[in-house]
Amino acid sequence: MRKLFIIAALLAAAGARAETPRDFLTRFEKEAGSAASAERGARFFNSKQGGEWSCASCHTDKPTQAGRHARTDKPIAALAPVANAERFTDAAKVDKWFRRNCNDTVNRLCSAQEKADVMAWLLTLK
Amino acid sequence: MNADSTPVRVWDLPTRIFHWSLATSFVIAFATAESEKLRDIHVLAGYAMAGLIAFRILWGFVGGGHARFADFLPTPTTVIDYLKSLLGGKPQHYVGHNPAGAVAVFLLLGFGITAAASGYATYNEFGGDFMEEVHEAAANGMMAMVGIHLAGVVVSSWLHGENLVKAMITGRKHIRHENPAG
Repeated sequence: MRKLFIIAALLAAAGARAETPRDFLTRFEKEAGSAASAERGARFFNSKQGGEWSCASCHTDKPTQAGRHARTDKPIAALAPVANAERFTDAAKVDKWFRRNCNDTVNRLCSAQEKADVMAWLLTLK
Repeated sequence: MNADSTPVRVWDLPTRIFHWSLATSFVIAFATAESEKLRDIHVLAGYAMAGLIAFRILWGFVGGGHARFADFLPTPTTVIDYLKSLLGGKPQHYVGHNPAGAVAVFLLLGFGITAAASGYATYNEFGGDFMEEVHEAAANGMMAMVGIHLAGVVVSSWLHGENLVKAMITGRKHIRHENPAG
């Protein structure tokens, strides 16, 4: 019984292992097969990609600050890791919100390259 | 119509309007769940669902006939007997909800209340990630009940030779006299 408990605790700890924002940059670059460009990420983030909204429509072009939901006007906590330590620390959450928000902005899923570029830009923000 | 079948009024008008309104609002809420652009529609559909469920609970106590909770409150015995009769290929025939369906109805209402409450909490930013997880789990629970419900409608309609979809539109069933249970 105690052994089971220890194994369960270890598994839970392994599952809960927090990622860092850098891990996501590495992951997306690896998936894309090429290096990220922060400059390209900034352009992607701040301009519309064929849809009604850009990323900046909600997150603003200064994601170190809080944003505002473009439909409901509700506040959105800052996206840049430097301003918000909770951002990009949970893979399930990161994947979920890239999936949702890419569909809202570019009307499709984002490519690994696009995600890598945005991550790179967000990580340059001070 | 079969000569040996009798038309019976089963579902009253409020129950039927509730049923199709709940189905519509659930489909809208589920379909708009992932979109921030449609977030206001999603929230509206959620409020509609909450209001409809509140009405249905009230109607379960003050409504009449087969709409009353007391009419189809399942017990372990009735559920097991019903499932046994189903596996035996000779399902007991209920005019209103059968016991297995009744379990699904109460689970659906429970998941619906949970989804609405946790959705309200998430939208108003209390409860955090946990509430969001609860919200998604409850919505998936509802979808599972809908899946079971639709399968039940198809199987039941076929086994008992009655059109259950039509019954939920017109309110009437043509009952064949077979293996009656309730």
